[in-house]
Amino acid sequence: MEPNRAEQDPQEVAWIQSAQRGDREAFGQLVERYQQRVFTQVFRLVRRREDVEDLAQEILAKAFRAVRSYNFRSSFGTWLSRVAVNHCYDFLRRERTQPAAFSGPAGDRDGDQPGALVDNLEAPDQDPERQAVLRDLVGKLLERAPADDRVILVLKEMEGLSVEEISEILELRPGTVKVRLFRARKRMLKDWRSLRQER
Amino acid sequence: MRCEDAHAMLIEGEGGERPAALRAHVAMCAACQAYARDMEGLRAGFRALAAQAAPEPSWGFAARLLRRLDELGEKSRGADFLEQVGRRVVYAAGLLTLLLLLALVLPASGPLRGPTTSELYWAQADTAVLTSYSILPDEPLEGRELNSQVPGANGGEGKR
Repeated sequence: MEPNRAEQDPQEVAWIQSAQRGDREAFGQLVERYQQRVFTQVFRLVRRREDVEDLAQEILAKAFRAVRSYNFRSSFGTWLSRVAVNHCYDFLRRERTQPAAFSGPAGDRDGDQPGALVDNLEAPDQDPERQAVLRDLVGKLLERAPADDRVILVLKEMEGLSVEEISEILELRPGTVKVRLFRARKRMLKDWRSLRQER
Repeated sequence: MRCEDAHAMLIEGEGGERPAALRAHVAMCAACQAYARDMEGLRAGFRALAAQAAPEPSWGFAARLLRRLDELGEKSRGADFLEQVGRRVVYAAGLLTLLLLLALVLPASGPLRGPTTSELYWAQADTAVLTSYSILPDEPLEGRELNSQVPGANGGEGKR
């Protein structure tokens, strides 16, 4: 899980070392390689399409300024994820007082009756209507969730990272990650149940 | 198995095969069946969110980023220069202050040593005491009513 320098792509190592000496062109190569990953992570965390590009640019600029501190202990992708998650976390805490409208294709479905669709677990996950309802519900819950819960749930449930990988990104002990994940899921489930009762 | 334990196991589970004890409890308990259904729904919602395509970088994103880094680099070079100059001014001011304090506090040294601050202080204090008792050496002591100025100087009489 923690590749040393020898296990990393030699080309990538060369780019990182050049970037650490201030070579912006070399950093540009790293940007080309990782930009989509940063965009995806930012979108999952902040859930606002209009903010993604600005945030991604800030994250990558921050990464360039901090690249000298990268010591090859974790993969460059993990290190970059750490920068992205911390930046988005700060953004979410700043924006906490201004909850955004969900921007998914389902739109605002408060007037719909999606309970049957959600409850029907026999329906295939690929059913577009069911997908849209679920996305809408969970998207709203994520927007309401505290920034800590949101970050850990996105990393676990959407990025599919292991507890160890999350602990590396958040610089927490695996035991702490497990406890926080349990609490975040429990709170989310409670909100899910009350939101569905409201509908 | 208690319902709380079943709920904890449902939350902790990763959506795979459930332990036999949990399966048996959920099969018999309607409340835990609803709880398990909600947990599954929540997981399905996360999967649906994860499947949603994120926006892609617009054309020329990397080039714009590099231009921004160039601009930031120039700004930070200017800021570094100002910071260095400012830091030197602060160091110089600190050093001057320290020298001034040392000159005020430390006694003057050399072959003809002058009175120190503390010596001057005690000399002034002595003078003040002598003045208050009016027994300065250049004034005669006769005829002065010391008793009226010094409390308790009359021995027991003052108390009466």
